[in-house]
Amino acid sequence: MTVDQVVADIPSGSTVAIGGSSLSRKPMALIRALARSSVKDLRLIVDVGGPDVDLLIGTGSVSEVIYAFVGFEVLGLAPHFRRARQQQALRFEEWTEYTVMAGLDATIKRVPFLPTHAGLATDVLSVNTSFRRFQDPFHGEELVAVPALKPDVALIHVNYADAKGNGVILGDGHVDVLCAKAARRTYMSCERIISSDELQRYGRDVQILRVHTTGVVELPWGAHPTGCAPDYRADLRHLQDYLKHSANEDAWREYADQYIYTDPSRYLERQGGVEALLARLKV
Amino acid sequence: MPLDERYALDEFLITTMARQFSGEVMVSSVTAFGALAALLAKARYAPDLAVLATPESGMEVTPMPTLSLGQFLTDAQRGIPLTMEEIFDAIFTDHFRIWINPAQIDRHGNTNISVIGDWHQPKVAMVGSRGIPEDTSHLSQIFYYVLTHSRRTVVEQVDFRSGAGTGPDRDATLGAHGAPSVLVTDLGVFDFTGPGGTMAVRSLHPGVTLEEVQEKSGFEIHAPGSIPVTDPPTEEDVQIIRDADPLEVRKLELLSGPEAAERFVSIYERERQALHAAWPRLGKLG
Repeated sequence: MTVDQVVADIPSGSTVAIGGSSLSRKPMALIRALARSSVKDLRLIVDVGGPDVDLLIGTGSVSEVIYAFVGFEVLGLAPHFRRARQQQALRFEEWTEYTVMAGLDATIKRVPFLPTHAGLATDVLSVNTSFRRFQDPFHGEELVAVPALKPDVALIHVNYADAKGNGVILGDGHVDVLCAKAARRTYMSCERIISSDELQRYGRDVQILRVHTTGVVELPWGAHPTGCAPDYRADLRHLQDYLKHSANEDAWREYADQYIYTDPSRYLERQGGVEALLARLKV
Repeated sequence: MPLDERYALDEFLITTMARQFSGEVMVSSVTAFGALAALLAKARYAPDLAVLATPESGMEVTPMPTLSLGQFLTDAQRGIPLTMEEIFDAIFTDHFRIWINPAQIDRHGNTNISVIGDWHQPKVAMVGSRGIPEDTSHLSQIFYYVLTHSRRTVVEQVDFRSGAGTGPDRDATLGAHGAPSVLVTDLGVFDFTGPGGTMAVRSLHPGVTLEEVQEKSGFEIHAPGSIPVTDPPTEEDVQIIRDADPLEVRKLELLSGPEAAERFVSIYERERQALHAAWPRLGKLG
């Protein structure tokens, strides 16, 4: 598939689960394609979000965010997320790391909810009205019911994939497998498409199975500016630049023109080209 | 706390944190302080620890604090790869420990990393509760550290409970699972053995007075009649920390402003070289 074909399959109002974790293996090339399209009112589901959620909020593409965390880790807070939260501009639902996983898992297992103790005696339960308290029917213990999270679409980025839709993840898996299995349609970008024979040599690192994927796009550096271990590390200098450009509307428009409203190959040129990226980010 | 020429504040605190560990548990390395505390503990105080390179990543790894290379460290050292399911199963079965650095902690050990002000109308929206509700509903030991003990960080009541402290809500649902055990700050070591599970002074760092602690806290911390002084690090402790963190990433946690920014860039530019010097690459793309 092409990036444009993926975006054409995602109507406004879709619920989109995003893989990766904060500054690691976010499907940023797909995110940027979504951001420059006319798609609006997205409901995002992220376990640990970062530049993915922040950028889509920045381009006005989002109406709701379900999240356990959104931040830039060592670089600080996520600027558009923070502003939107403080201005109460969008709907936000705070979940927790395991409950996002459990919500996706409930959908995979075709049950309406999964039980947990997580959240008891915290304020997450008071602000997140999607959760319900209930009594264990066997012993009467109080538990939290985590409702099924039902993404229409999952977007993930992996190291390698074959054309059939099997994917190899060499670094941390994050929640990509859960996203891929729970979503009705999963689109996967990859650093490189390889033959199925070559892919099968990766054994247990083949984590994404083709029965769960709808389409594959080859997008080298597709996680940039987040990292894609062990191919490349996060581009913290670019992310610092992103943060600087998020300070006001003019600067943000400049960033968006330069890096979002452009195609993937021109994006790489504007990073100084592949050689420069390798020198900066190859470990 | 007055500085001693034999160690810096970060080295004093990391050693104090390391001495809280015991047993055969996984230890997550989210921050440089947490990573170095785990590494020092494994070397000197709790040899059975299974140390992780990053929050997720791999086990049986010797941490080296960096800004961007956690997963590469796992790869270079051929750490045992872990999934998120394995991390949370270790949390639910109480085989996991972590040092959490909250924005606020209160009298009952409730902690906040989510929001300053009302959650619905935030003054400052921070990051969201992440996995702290899971930790504070399952682990038998919960470790917190705060680098600047002040009325903004050690408060009467947190603005939002990301982490469950002690009190009636906990008693009615969780019992002892996930209750706060220890808080280490730049002034002292605290636990939650005060009346009704409230914060109490366990020890004060050399040169710190109880008056100073009360002055810098948002409530009166329970204090026993005689308060011990926190043991300082040994020469060996300090050496282990310095050797394990050649880039001095740990210093960043105590800095802010232009000095922090400058150091940050310098570390980011040098850290690949430091990683290769310490761990010649044998990983998946090596």
